[in-house]
Amino acid sequence: MGDTLQRTLTIAHTVAFPTTERERERRRIAVMCLPFLVLAVFAGFVPLATMARMSLSAERLSNEGWSLEAWKTLTTDSTYWWIGFNTLWFAAAATLVSVAVGVAIAHALEKYSLPFENAIVAVVSFPIALPGIVVAFMVIVLLGRQGLITQAIAVFSGESAVSLATATTIGGLFLGYVYSLIPRATMVLRGTYAEVNTDAEEAARSLGASPLETFVRVTLPEIRPGIVAACILTYRSALAIFGTVLILQGGLVVVTLRIDRELSIGFNSQMAGAIGLVYVAFLIAFTFVGLRFVRTDAVEI
Amino acid sequence: MQNEHSITMTSKTDTETGRTEAGSTRTTSNTGAETNTDETGTPDTETDTNTDTNTNARADGGTPANSTDDPWTDAGGSPSALLGRPVVVGVVVLTVAVLVVPIVMTFVSSFARTATGALPSGFVTLSHWRHVLGLGDYGVRANAVPGLTFSIAIATGGMVLNVLVGVPIAYALSRYDFYARDWVNTLAILPLVPGVVLGIAFLRTYPERGGSALGLIVGYCLLKSPYMVLTVQSSFQSMDLERLEESARSLGASWPRTFLTVIVPHAKQGILAGCVITWTLAAAEFNFTYMVHTGDPEPFSMFLFRNISNAPYLQSAAAISIYFCIVVAAILFLQLIGNRGFTTARN
Repeated sequence: MGDTLQRTLTIAHTVAFPTTERERERRRIAVMCLPFLVLAVFAGFVPLATMARMSLSAERLSNEGWSLEAWKTLTTDSTYWWIGFNTLWFAAAATLVSVAVGVAIAHALEKYSLPFENAIVAVVSFPIALPGIVVAFMVIVLLGRQGLITQAIAVFSGESAVSLATATTIGGLFLGYVYSLIPRATMVLRGTYAEVNTDAEEAARSLGASPLETFVRVTLPEIRPGIVAACILTYRSALAIFGTVLILQGGLVVVTLRIDRELSIGFNSQMAGAIGLVYVAFLIAFTFVGLRFVRTDAVEI
Repeated sequence: MQNEHSITMTSKTDTETGRTEAGSTRTTSNTGAETNTDETGTPDTETDTNTDTNTNARADGGTPANSTDDPWTDAGGSPSALLGRPVVVGVVVLTVAVLVVPIVMTFVSSFARTATGALPSGFVTLSHWRHVLGLGDYGVRANAVPGLTFSIAIATGGMVLNVLVGVPIAYALSRYDFYARDWVNTLAILPLVPGVVLGIAFLRTYPERGGSALGLIVGYCLLKSPYMVLTVQSSFQSMDLERLEESARSLGASWPRTFLTVIVPHAKQGILAGCVITWTLAAAEFNFTYMVHTGDPEPFSMFLFRNISNAPYLQSAAAISIYFCIVVAAILFLQLIGNRGFTTARN
């Protein structure tokens, strides 16, 4: 104990007053990392700690007193388990679809000489810039009462557009998720595809493998790390979606929406804090476990 | 024989059969110089010349796959050779359509007079744009200008802070190896806290300042910092940092001077790209803003939210189109400095 403390103090001292080049390098690293760490502490860790305290507070409006009430409700009330379950499966389904479509787009961009390739990349990356509420409006433009697809189906089937509108159903919500996730998945996979060694694919093709066999047996193993990275990043983004759900509702309560409702109905801040803490803990654990299976340089957003 | 072969290959590229794809990729994979020209998006004519030179190069002892006369005949009849490429291209076309059509539709209908029918009609009117831009007697709350000005100022503040915070850590992470480097790296390149949660945490931690301009700047900076760190990092990774640094040091520059006048200017492209991306994202950040904002001046994203949730369809379309214009400008600028789209991935 005393030894460790002394060693830490020695390191701290040499960082502050270096005498050798190695110690100077250590000081440089510390100086370069410092601004970010200060930001992370004051804007990230301190607020998170305060939120943890908030979940244990006896008062709603300020952190005073101690109470385990919120945590008791969170663990015993089955509503919250269902919300967690809904969030996880819905995000997982949207992730799978988005990554599959992302593989197709990245494959086509890399392997086929498509016309207007630059424009396609620009267009596919466009939704990354859109906040969730705008994505919700895009879904309304397609599937709302005046939506293009709704109107088209109404013309062909003769039913009224109002009964055909699906923007505010779970299907519309799914489109919203996929709309904002496909671009992210595609951009991660494009980086992976650029590094694929084409020699093996050519060899497989020339030895008589069909394009599908070549893809499954040669290309897929090569891009697997990229697919895993894309799944992790896309799933994280899917779990964090809020604006889209807030506008569309879609009959599905996900974690972010529930946090908002806890605050907007009765300002139940302890409950919101408890949900938020579990949610962030899950995200962090998922990220660190997930990234053990990927090289970090596959990470792109 | 070789030339004839290459001609059949390129002409096949136009027909939509799956089996020519291997042929066309192969032609660009041999020489590094050709690969570069191809990646910058060469038109078809140039691909033809590539094919010729490459085929000749392979005849001098390139990949053995080329030695047989027609290596693709065996799998020619398989269903994936016939259908694979059309199906994949179909998926791409459908996806691009789903992504683009609502954007274009929104922009176009912002100029329409009525939206009661199947398609908006009554072109062209600028009244919705005048409304959201505040060029009429609609009152202050109805237009985007005050919110947009406020949000642009906040986003610029967040961007500047991001440069100060993101560039040094990106350098430390790409140049040095140190204790807990992987942990710091993950922390820096992944947004660990989602906007909604950060918002409620901010409100309780800084009750006075959470929703103020300073609170928003700091929040945006933390939420968007991964984009800055990633773009700058990929710039640094393409440079020989150690050699650059040692050359400058051996010529007598101090370490801070080396960093500021040699390293940072070399990463200019990455820093600019990071600035554009973080700025654009912060200008319309919603999740965090929704949780912490406290009235006037109302940020731009809250203006958008109010419009989307309860304004007439065409007016919402005009409000959102303002942001589309910003994103298009951002993407064009990014393409100008070498990125192909709104992404941290470099080409």
